[in-house]
Amino acid sequence: MNQPISSPYSDKDLAVMDSIVKRYPRTRSAIMPLLHYLQSIEGYVTETGIETIAQILSLESAEVNAVATFYTQYKRKPVGQYHVGICTNTLCAVMGGDAIYQSVLEHLGIENDGVTDDGKVSVEHIECNAACDYAPVVMANWEFYDNQNVESAKDLVDSMRQGNPPPPTRGPDRLVTWKEASAVLAGINDGLAHQGVQAGDPTLLGLKIAKNSKGGE
Amino acid sequence: MSIQEIKNQEITSSQGADSAIEMITIIVDGFEVSVPKGTLVIRAAEKLGIQIPRFCDHPLLDPVGACRQCLVDIEINGRKFPKPQASCTIPVEPGMVVNTQLTSPVAEKAQKGVMELLLINHPLDCPVCDKGGECPLQNQAMSNGGGESRYEGVKRTFEKPINISSQVLLDRERCILCARCTRFSEQIAGDPFITLNERGALQQVGIYEKEPFQSYFSGNTVQICPVGALTGASYRFRARPFDLVSTPSACEHCASGCDMRVDVRRGKTLRRLAGDDSTVNEEWSCDKGRWAFKYEHRDRLTSPLIRNESGELVEASWPEALAHAAHGLSINRAAVLVGGRSTIEDAYGYSKFARIALNTNDIDFRSRTSSDEERNFLAALLLGKSVTYLDIDKADQVILLGFEPEEESPIIFLRIFKQVRKRGLKVSALAPFTSRGNEKLKATVIKNVGNEVEDISKFALTNRSVILVGERLAEVSGALTAALKLAEQSGAKLAWIPRRAGERGALEAGAIGNLLPGARQVADPKARQDIERAWGSGPLPTQTGLSTDQILDALHKGEIEALLVGGVDPGDISASAIDGLRKAFVVSLEIRNSAMSEVADVVLPVAAVVEKSGSFLDWQGRARKFEAAVTNSLHRSDVRILSILADEIGRPINLGTVEKAAKELASFGDGSSDQKSALASLSADQAKIKEPGKNQAILTSWRLLLDNGSLQEHEPNLAGTAHPCVAVISDDRANRLGVVDGDLIKISNSNGEIILPLQIGDIDPRAIWIPRNSENSRPLLALKSATHSLVSVVKA
Repeated sequence: MNQPISSPYSDKDLAVMDSIVKRYPRTRSAIMPLLHYLQSIEGYVTETGIETIAQILSLESAEVNAVATFYTQYKRKPVGQYHVGICTNTLCAVMGGDAIYQSVLEHLGIENDGVTDDGKVSVEHIECNAACDYAPVVMANWEFYDNQNVESAKDLVDSMRQGNPPPPTRGPDRLVTWKEASAVLAGINDGLAHQGVQAGDPTLLGLKIAKNSKGGE
Repeated sequence: MSIQEIKNQEITSSQGADSAIEMITIIVDGFEVSVPKGTLVIRAAEKLGIQIPRFCDHPLLDPVGACRQCLVDIEINGRKFPKPQASCTIPVEPGMVVNTQLTSPVAEKAQKGVMELLLINHPLDCPVCDKGGECPLQNQAMSNGGGESRYEGVKRTFEKPINISSQVLLDRERCILCARCTRFSEQIAGDPFITLNERGALQQVGIYEKEPFQSYFSGNTVQICPVGALTGASYRFRARPFDLVSTPSACEHCASGCDMRVDVRRGKTLRRLAGDDSTVNEEWSCDKGRWAFKYEHRDRLTSPLIRNESGELVEASWPEALAHAAHGLSINRAAVLVGGRSTIEDAYGYSKFARIALNTNDIDFRSRTSSDEERNFLAALLLGKSVTYLDIDKADQVILLGFEPEEESPIIFLRIFKQVRKRGLKVSALAPFTSRGNEKLKATVIKNVGNEVEDISKFALTNRSVILVGERLAEVSGALTAALKLAEQSGAKLAWIPRRAGERGALEAGAIGNLLPGARQVADPKARQDIERAWGSGPLPTQTGLSTDQILDALHKGEIEALLVGGVDPGDISASAIDGLRKAFVVSLEIRNSAMSEVADVVLPVAAVVEKSGSFLDWQGRARKFEAAVTNSLHRSDVRILSILADEIGRPINLGTVEKAAKELASFGDGSSDQKSALASLSADQAKIKEPGKNQAILTSWRLLLDNGSLQEHEPNLAGTAHPCVAVISDDRANRLGVVDGDLIKISNSNGEIILPLQIGDIDPRAIWIPRNSENSRPLLALKSATHSLVSVVKA
């Protein structure tokens, strides 16, 4: 039954969601960007959001729920304005990641996946982000803060709570909020893609050595 | 590709019907095998009798490679895959050499490793698990596992069991995440209400919290679960598989014709499973067929009953009851109503009993709304070519007329859905509204109540099209004629789908006023002679018999004074049917106490399906024979009782056993040759319905699969997954009435009213749809009309 979508989202939001659906030859492909887009509105994936996507894509809510619960980047409860991910996979961990993770949680007085009372910062330990060349790394709203240590990481989360975080080491000139970052993941261009370094020196170091060595030894 | 599909393909290719199938030869464990291109390695191995262990693989579901149990070593043209591959996802290729666990130590070790991993979090609670004793995990852990676990950690546990619907329970820690259940729900039933949620160690099957697993086919997930993760609420902890005696059976619930298996312990059915018949139900059944059988044990009649002088039904001996019944039937003018649930042998018993013992053609199996046009249509139908499930598989389009497959013949629904999903089969339906079933079939729905006849003639069909006509089409005068004409003009195949399991058989047994056994017309003297000779009887009655409605009318008028009924609910025919029956001398053959007990003068208990042998003719006209699953029952089939009753009357029908009836009926063959002339009198005009006024609507209804049907009594778990009982109205009407989804509305006429919550739907704006036989919605009784009449619709 082709009934109009009944949801609390604004006409503007519904229009954006419609434009996201139209990008794909098979509408089901739009589940993931739509989930990101909902996070850009509400900060996390709500039941209303799941049911709305199901309606838009003519799916059962169970099917949307399956996707939303599979990927850890979709949050089922609110996160902070700045969501901090601390890498605790092998290389980052031995380079100080484990210590950073523990001390930041203690410093903020929260548990893993917890949010500070002011709603500014949340922390989770994350799996490898392919930035071992800058280990240990901390991410905020999926932007990199490279070569961190316990003190620099504590300073970073403090600055977030004060509302003036420094720009990411690589990436745009300012740290966008969680909701802004979610909109980008939904495929909505924020015009910041050209800012910041793309591949830094440590990333290219191996290539440089290979080029300089004779016979590629 | 399943073994059956391979067989079918081989048959087709040997007949050279379709383009030749390319065969590919591979070597498995040193043996050559040739299979059609596209066959999976695991299936090719099966053909050699080599069984590779597996859990997620199912021949009727898309490959997924989820459980990894079927790992084998593969090389192609001398190049070896670097590691073992899942044989359930890889199709055969030329030059392929496969080494299974039987010949490759690498494959064997890989399989043992997978098994050990699968068992890490499995509770190994086989002694208290329903599946224990028939469990693929248990069996294959023994045949292909390591024997001892090296795992010493703490197993992951979940709260258990959880209800994913009122009838399906989930024990998550037993689950091995094979995704059979989720794939079935999506690919076969079209009800993706269960999914794999979360990830990693927490991955689990689940529902969306607010939407339980409300599918008519959910029981199949319990049957195909290769472990004990999904269990049926009604069977849980009831039996051990090795205590059960299994008997192949046929489903008595509808005309789909499913192969079933009945599992009995000490004379009592404990569960029913779908049998495996690739030409009918494949390996599936609907939940009604699987879980509605407690009627066999409850409210059963155990002794004959006679109404005494003070008007009470009291127990009587068989001789006394038979004598009383015989007397009442022979001194009065009598007719016969056969319920739609008789086996063909029983129906034949009624048919012969009416002609010989009662000397009348006044017999009708249609204990429901029906018409004379339908009777002629049915006679014509028997002259046509038979239509089968295979025709649906090959159809270029399917037209549904007065027929809701998911509600009225669910296995036909699965068959159509399969083709819609596989190849985008075009489906069109003439219906008042777009039901959920039609949505799933992506059907083009022509929503027009009142002008159906005109719309039927507009379909553009070919000789590969299939027209499926439901029994409800008889309720629209002229529609059956139009459907026949459409089939004739286009060359399309036409099939009639009765709702009940026994109707097609009763038709062929001649349990109807215009036909004798074997599709012979009563009006045809030569046909009568055939039967007279076979029966060795005197002249048969020559006059075409009365129909159900005419019989009831005659009862009211006192023109017929006695009635023999077999499994009839008067409430299915009309509101006033019971009053007519009250006036007559009624002999009722029944399995349970029913509404008929109120009016019967003699009640004779008969056997339920599980206690007797016989066969049902499905909508294709194909017989499914079954033997008694309960062998020590004291109940006897209707035909046996009828034979004794005929003896008592003094006009024997000589049908002492079911086998005798079957043999005699089969000996008639098909007598339908060259009788088309008798069919000229079909009428083709549709009765005009007045345009509904402002607060009026045209009533429409059909029965939901799960409703108040008497065979579904005492099954609360099954009833929990019934579709909601709502009235469907258009958006327009809702606006006019100022109501929204869920509000109560009142549907009424001069006879009464029905109050139901409403649901806004894609419906002909002039119409309203309500369930025909659900709680709070029995229009035939409350409004004295079930369809195509004007009712008033207001906010309640």
